[in-house]
Amino acid sequence: MYRRLWRGFTPRATTASGSPPRKTWIYLALMLTLTGFRVGCNSQDVRVVPLIVGMELAYPPFEMTDSNGSPTGVSVDLAHALGAYLNRPVRIENIPFDGLIPALKTGKIDLIISSMTATPQRRQSIDFSDPYLKTGLCLLVGVHSNIHSISDADRKGKSVAVKKGTTGHGYAAAHIRNATVLVLDKETACVLEVVQGKADAFIYDQMSVYKNWRRYPDHTVALLEPFQEESWAIGLRKGTERLRTQANRFLVHFRETGGFDRLADKYLHEQKEAFRRMGYPFYF
Amino acid sequence: MSNRERLLVRLFLLEYERNDTTPSLAVRSVNLVLAFLFMVSLFYFAFSRVAYHWAWGSVGRYWPMFVKGWCVTVLVSLAALATSAFLGVFLALVQRSRILALRYLSKLIVELIRGTPLLVQILIFFYIVAEAFQIRNRYLVGILILSIFSAAYICEIVRGGIESVGKSQIDSARAIGFTHRQIYRYVVFPQAIRQILPALAGQFVSLIKDSSLLSIISISEFTLNAQEVNAFTYSAFESYIPLAVGYLILTLPISLWSRRLERKFAYET
Repeated sequence: MYRRLWRGFTPRATTASGSPPRKTWIYLALMLTLTGFRVGCNSQDVRVVPLIVGMELAYPPFEMTDSNGSPTGVSVDLAHALGAYLNRPVRIENIPFDGLIPALKTGKIDLIISSMTATPQRRQSIDFSDPYLKTGLCLLVGVHSNIHSISDADRKGKSVAVKKGTTGHGYAAAHIRNATVLVLDKETACVLEVVQGKADAFIYDQMSVYKNWRRYPDHTVALLEPFQEESWAIGLRKGTERLRTQANRFLVHFRETGGFDRLADKYLHEQKEAFRRMGYPFYF
Repeated sequence: MSNRERLLVRLFLLEYERNDTTPSLAVRSVNLVLAFLFMVSLFYFAFSRVAYHWAWGSVGRYWPMFVKGWCVTVLVSLAALATSAFLGVFLALVQRSRILALRYLSKLIVELIRGTPLLVQILIFFYIVAEAFQIRNRYLVGILILSIFSAAYICEIVRGGIESVGKSQIDSARAIGFTHRQIYRYVVFPQAIRQILPALAGQFVSLIKDSSLLSIISISEFTLNAQEVNAFTYSAFESYIPLAVGYLILTLPISLWSRRLERKFAYET
């Protein structure tokens, strides 16, 4: 058995018949066909290539799924509006938040619209459009935690939950010195830790903190005063200047035609009213 | 056959059909290097095709996180390893208990644990069961759930080992007046252990890798720390490749050791 296989590959065996064995021809043909396909792909019209938008569908009401499992939310509508503006079909890719930037960098997606804050650290890896929404980091604390500000939270014996890869995580890594930082995968897990008293506080954005406080009013307190302002923007791969200009132009157009107001009324009606009452800024 | 061909044949081909000798060290190393080079070139090709901007420098700054996480993984795995070995043997013995309800209880636990995803078990155990029993230390809970998970598999391995000892031997032991305990101590266990050691080693390798799932309850082990570095640096592969290497350093010795055990016991049965 071994011997025969080996024989097949010695120079003498191939020259005996005068031409390469039949298998070689099959391989050659296969390879030529494959390269042919590749060339065909490259010559496709750019405009019908779908715009692939990455987001994590775990951040209602911005990125979520409806009862059928299809993407919906502020960012999804925004992505489709951008697609319509650019005359390109849109495909949504559901990717975990900490995997979005690697996916963008490797070209798996064209854009990130996932409530992502444009931070200086992220700017080292990717580009951002102009910001489209302003919010701030604040705290969801347990009712028995006795925490009234971020400096209360950063004390020995306290523990602070953050969602992996969020600006809250970044803030905790840079500024939390004395408390234990609990890094979790999911927003719901962070909230559960606070509700059960396993964590004393959860660092997240104002809208989510408000939403989670409404869900667990008996176990949590929302400290909505932001200790770090941030603004969300569309993430783009470095070197895609043209797409960035287009995205910026689209954002201006969308704002002027009242698109953001429509989205806010559709998805964030309650938050908008509540934030206005409490005097916190809320605007796209 | 020319001399050159003869040399090539001697270097690369196993000819067990003719002589049952193991190849020399030189031949083995040449072929090992060949296999190794194949894997390296495969990955080199794959990585070179991806337009990925490598940034090892940014990840390198976080090396203490990798070291710390690796140590936590080693400690958690060791603790879970010892506990699960103990628990697994216990569960297997309970399955041979004379009280039927205990037998069923053990079977139920094993089937429940083996049939459901570890991820779900960790979440339920940590947020519901441990909460109800007021176990607050997440590391303790992590080690416990990992031990129980692994114990279910070890139980099955041990049960198989015990059952491989022929019933006639147990009957003979009883006939010459061995007590229940003596039968296990002097007849069943010495034979069963030989049978199960390789499978046990494999289970321990799994346990080390499964410990990575503890990251979901924020146990700051190797995987979570690598994920954090990825979150800070946005360099997925630069964070995860050291992760893979770190686990290999732990698991490779165990699987090599298990390979040796398998060889050692192969001709004793």
